[in-house]
Amino acid sequence: MKHKISFTINGEVKEVEVEPNKTLLKMLREDLDLIGAKEGCGAGECGACTVIVENKPVNSCLMLAVEVDGKEILTIEGLSVGINLDPLQESFIKHNALQCGYCTPGMVMSAKALLNRNHHPTEEDVKEALAGNLCRCTGYQRIVDAVLDIAKKGVGK
Amino acid sequence: MKKFEYLKPTSLGEAISILVKYGEAAYILNGGTDLIVSMRDKIVQPEYVVDIKAVPGIDKITYSEQDGLNIGATVTLNEISDSRVVQSHYPILAEACKTVGSYQLRNRATLVGNICNASPSADTAPPLLVLDAKVNIVGPDGEKTVPLNQFFVGVKKNILKKGEIVASVSVPPIKDEWTGVYLKQGRRKEVDLATVGVAVVCVGDEVRIALGAVAPTPIRASKTETLLKGKRIDELLLEQAGESALAEVSPISDIRSSKEYREEIIKVLVKRAILQGKKGCSA
Repeated sequence: MKHKISFTINGEVKEVEVEPNKTLLKMLREDLDLIGAKEGCGAGECGACTVIVENKPVNSCLMLAVEVDGKEILTIEGLSVGINLDPLQESFIKHNALQCGYCTPGMVMSAKALLNRNHHPTEEDVKEALAGNLCRCTGYQRIVDAVLDIAKKGVGK
Repeated sequence: MKKFEYLKPTSLGEAISILVKYGEAAYILNGGTDLIVSMRDKIVQPEYVVDIKAVPGIDKITYSEQDGLNIGATVTLNEISDSRVVQSHYPILAEACKTVGSYQLRNRATLVGNICNASPSADTAPPLLVLDAKVNIVGPDGEKTVPLNQFFVGVKKNILKKGEIVASVSVPPIKDEWTGVYLKQGRRKEVDLATVGVAVVCVGDEVRIALGAVAPTPIRASKTETLLKGKRIDELLLEQAGESALAEVSPISDIRSSKEYREEIIKVLVKRAILQGKKGCSA
């Protein structure tokens, strides 16, 4: 039986009907055409599916869509305003913090959530916050640099 | 993932009656980080998934000097490791919660879920065992409290019967000064299950030791504790403690480690945990 749920996503209120066995990630990608979040492992180990729910980064592959009823969700698509990228995204570009790009939306969302809760993260804080995001191109140092740089400029929020 | 019906009770009573009604066809959904993976891999195929996150009264951490700590079923691992109360009174527990999975996983995963899943490698289990934690269970026959060391009965098996829910885990207050540590050996620092986990708490002349990932359940090394009680810790005794702990467990080979490697690491970690756990202790 489908459930009717409503939630706020990237600032917009949505109402959808979903099967209970659909994960949040599947709903984002298949029903809402938000394909930034990716499925890597599907088991909470790679972080490519990371989105922010109620201000907290979560693995959207490990959450049922029905569980976001009444909640607020932010995905990578909600970070930019019009054609203006979020300063964090700009910093990723500036630091060449992406190669194939598959892990990037998850990386950015984990980093965004970190900067929201901690305006002055140390390198250790950044590494801890991103530990659940795997990059198989292994460009970790540039990603850490991009996050630290933007944190230093104080425009994380 | 196979189709199922999603139910979201708004009271413990309602949750229990749903679980009684559907029996083995129903699974509790809490943080979901174990259940959803198992459903995806078709290891479990529930017909009813019972989300307990709308049940009031099981989402809090409470503490008092008299009663100690109480952690509700739906409290996440991040809420525990971020809790000032846990950090100041039970730092070993705050640290252990941080060793599970990744930051985003810990925003969903719960301590009670970690315990109920009853994996031999559950990271919260060894610290809770050395803290003499108790499991508060509610079910069709009312409430009961069971010591954690009687809660696990085998690999991924606990004592819960049809219709029973763990409402919270409580940790009694420790009157005397104490120190403790949880050491986890994994293949890498982050996002890995424990190859071996060792928790040590020192209270007065007593040394409590618990181990994870080395037996069908997380266990207390009670013979080793007796060996150490009241004694001055020196190199020879540490050596004996490592051997003694090893004799109390039954490590196996699996994807994370060979049996032989585990046997070595058990000895090393037990010694190291006793030394680190002792620091600042009067005995």
